[in-house]
Amino acid sequence: MREIIRLVVVLALICAVSGGALTVARHTLAPRIEQQSDFYVRGPALERLFEKPAAELLGNKIILPVGDQTYPVFYLADGDEIIGLAIEAPGPGGYAGDIVVMIGIDLREKRMIGLEIIQHSETPGVGSKVEKSSFRKQWMGLPVDQSVELTAQGGQIDAISGATYSSKAVVSGSNQIIELMIRHGDEIMALIETKEK
Amino acid sequence: MKFKEALLHGLWKDLTPFRLVLGLCPALAVTSSAENGMGMGLAATFVLVFSNMFISMLRKVIPDKVRIGSFIVVIATLVVLVEMVMKAYFFPLSQQLGIFIPLIVVNCIILGRAEAFASRNPVLLSMVDGLSIGIGFTISLTVLGSIREVLGAGSWFGMQVFGESFEPFEFMVKAPGAFICLGIMLGLMNAYSRKRGETFIQT
Repeated sequence: MREIIRLVVVLALICAVSGGALTVARHTLAPRIEQQSDFYVRGPALERLFEKPAAELLGNKIILPVGDQTYPVFYLADGDEIIGLAIEAPGPGGYAGDIVVMIGIDLREKRMIGLEIIQHSETPGVGSKVEKSSFRKQWMGLPVDQSVELTAQGGQIDAISGATYSSKAVVSGSNQIIELMIRHGDEIMALIETKEK
Repeated sequence: MKFKEALLHGLWKDLTPFRLVLGLCPALAVTSSAENGMGMGLAATFVLVFSNMFISMLRKVIPDKVRIGSFIVVIATLVVLVEMVMKAYFFPLSQQLGIFIPLIVVNCIILGRAEAFASRNPVLLSMVDGLSIGIGFTISLTVLGSIREVLGAGSWFGMQVFGESFEPFEFMVKAPGAFICLGIMLGLMNAYSRKRGETFIQT
């Protein structure tokens, strides 16, 4: 009995110390990691979407809180008018965790400019094909007030063969963004307005 | 004397990918360039040194029955730490190495050193052992990565080494190139060892 108690106590202590150390590390490094992924991932993605230098766009960032989740939103202004948005959301259901996607939205046309993959851990060579422009370009010009679906569900997006889970995750990420636009569109605009002032 | 032995054995006698033929998964997968190989090697070295240190410190506390579990917890913590530091300071490298950084957790070299050495030797000696194995691993991966990068892409650490006229053997940076390169190096090293009359793992 004493033996068993010792096993449990030692293992629990090791796990607790490890967990504590990681929480501290995560807390200290999180801002720096966020900044790095802004620079290396979101920057180039925004550049491709809006065809403007990243430095100009990265500063235009607000965080939209919905429930206990937060969504980064970037915007493009032309004078006083906000003409473009890029919303980022995780798409649950990837083969190896969430696929984080970003959709650029043209606010004048009310259509999507394109879709970018911000983060994924899909299998290289299979699920990672969601990064290919031949897959992503299917989002170009889609309306922002209608959810997207895979063709198998009667929608407009052709899934990547052999990577249905990954394709589905990208679609569900997109739908999350569309829903954010529909339900929280005004909130986003209000946040941008306060930031601009 | 013991320290010298611990410091040197990882560089030739127990050179991991070639002599012990351990840790082949990262050795084959990430050595498509010298930089990737070196980054992977250094990350593994860090984990090795500190996992050996902590495990050696805890060797009298950890009960025998849960030792493997405890080792894995220590190793996994260090690996996640490396992953976070890499993301914070070497972001492009962390994207290149991708899934292979978290996979250091299951790298048999690290668990092997914990079980075979750190769990029965004092702290400092264990750290030296980890360092030695780690440096051997880093050198092996860097050399493998260099050969593949020079032949397969015509560059070394991203710098061009050949003129415009050089047509790279692209297959060297692809998966089959890794196997062929590793096989040839392994063969040459075995031939050299045999010539010197060393004893080494061979059946």
